[in-house]
Amino acid sequence: MKNILTAVLVAGAFVIGVPAANAISEAEIRKDIEEYQGYFLKRFPGVTLADYSDGVNALPQYAERRANWELLMEFPPYETEMDKAAEEWAKPFANGKIFDDCNLAAGNVYPVYDAATDDLRTLVGDINVCLKANGEKTIKNVKVGKMARLVAHYRAQFNGQPMAVDYSHAGAQKWYEKGRQFYWAKRGQLNFSCANCHVQNAGNKIRGDVLSPGLGHTSGFPVYRTKWAVAGKPWGTIHRRYGGCNKQVRAKPFKAQGAEYKALELYEAVMNTGVPLKVPSQRQ
Amino acid sequence: MKRRVFLKGSFAAGTIAVAATAGLLTPRRLLAASWPETAFGAKNESDAVKALFGDTPVVDSDAISIKAPLQAENGAVVPIKVWTSLSDAESIAIVVEKNPAPWATSVDIMPGAGGLYSTRIKMGQTSPVTCYVKAGGKVHKAAHVVKVTVGGCGG
Amino acid sequence: MAATKMKIKKDKSGGHVVMVLVKHPMETGNRKDKKTGKKVPAHFVKTMVFTHNGTAVAQANLGPAVSKNPLTQILLTNSNSGDTVSVQWTDNQGKTGGTEATIK
Repeated sequence: MKNILTAVLVAGAFVIGVPAANAISEAEIRKDIEEYQGYFLKRFPGVTLADYSDGVNALPQYAERRANWELLMEFPPYETEMDKAAEEWAKPFANGKIFDDCNLAAGNVYPVYDAATDDLRTLVGDINVCLKANGEKTIKNVKVGKMARLVAHYRAQFNGQPMAVDYSHAGAQKWYEKGRQFYWAKRGQLNFSCANCHVQNAGNKIRGDVLSPGLGHTSGFPVYRTKWAVAGKPWGTIHRRYGGCNKQVRAKPFKAQGAEYKALELYEAVMNTGVPLKVPSQRQ
Repeated sequence: MKRRVFLKGSFAAGTIAVAATAGLLTPRRLLAASWPETAFGAKNESDAVKALFGDTPVVDSDAISIKAPLQAENGAVVPIKVWTSLSDAESIAIVVEKNPAPWATSVDIMPGAGGLYSTRIKMGQTSPVTCYVKAGGKVHKAAHVVKVTVGGCGG
Repeated sequence: MAATKMKIKKDKSGGHVVMVLVKHPMETGNRKDKKTGKKVPAHFVKTMVFTHNGTAVAQANLGPAVSKNPLTQILLTNSNSGDTVSVQWTDNQGKTGGTEATIK
């Protein structure tokens, strides 16, 4: 972990106002994955890579919490929503076509680097592209509700498949590096980085809640949260959660589907290479 | 003797007509049509228990098992599963001592159903959750304390 | 989209566990609407009657202390493949709902 930290802190010094100096290589990314995953596998012995799909519920010291979660999972609270999602996905557009007719990548490979535009394609983005291409209105609120349901429905079809983001293109590697910097950079009034909570303090408590390990992030989104359900908006895409987390360290949240969160999503997805998809997640 | 079925606007008339003729709408125990209004209105546990069971003696029982978290992940959705091995269980009631209205829910059990009841309740604060089972002329009870904390994270 | 969903699982005891999820706000009547500032009226499921092959076998009585989108489970003791299980619920505003399923 120290190696990555040092590398990023050094790289960070170059980034401010200046384009990143050294291009990251595929080999270096592979090493990052090994170190990142190795850290967690060592920190929580007995928890396998696949177990991390369950987030905090996979941690042995929280068997109690897992019991609570298992009781809920006997009949997941999100079930009727998933039925609705299946209907929404299957409903034909005005032109007779359906979502399945669009050019969507497999659920376990997003974000996908698009060389033609030098941009990252997320599933959320592709769904709106699909709607627009078929003359339908795009979905405005991309963090909750219908969009989250559609994403959940599509991704759930790939449950069990290991996360397998392609980072072989130099363009993808540049995005990866941006995401990696974001993850390890301190931000907000509380001056925390994603890593402070989800790597260094993974499994520790923060007030009444538990910090989830970074390993396992992205394999379960969208999430159906009890806390959000009580407030009326149970669903959240990963960008919704990123915004929430940034607000919690008193940093200004970035726009959902903007460059920052797409890069971050890519970094996290790559760190989770091999973790099986388990969508949606039922969480507190 | 046929007993009237107090189901508000539910079953299609056809189903009831067929069922009634076949004598299927005559359970041995009267369909507990009354929703426990008084128990619901009780502001403390003993009043709720009195409203539910009158003066029937209440005894502790180890024939009731309660599956519930020791610490609730979120007080708005606390899963509670009650199971009793007492044969002839007629009803199971779940009462949350520290809730403003302690009676949360109950089930009336008729022939054909067993002593199992599972639900998800709201708890305002840490409190014992007591499950009362009416069986064999007595009321049996068991309790389980569920800790409730305000969730820390979750933007 | 169904507001009531039923799942039936075989139980070790030989019978079947019936699980019913009802999509329902279960408002206590104390919550204030953030926009209007007024209290949202109480709206909760009151009774759920479970029937097995047409015979009522259980009635669950719910109050507003039951969580939103209540999940209720009961156990059938004398059940077999092919049997019909149904549930009918009524709420405090007189609305009703229900569903039925056949045991596989």
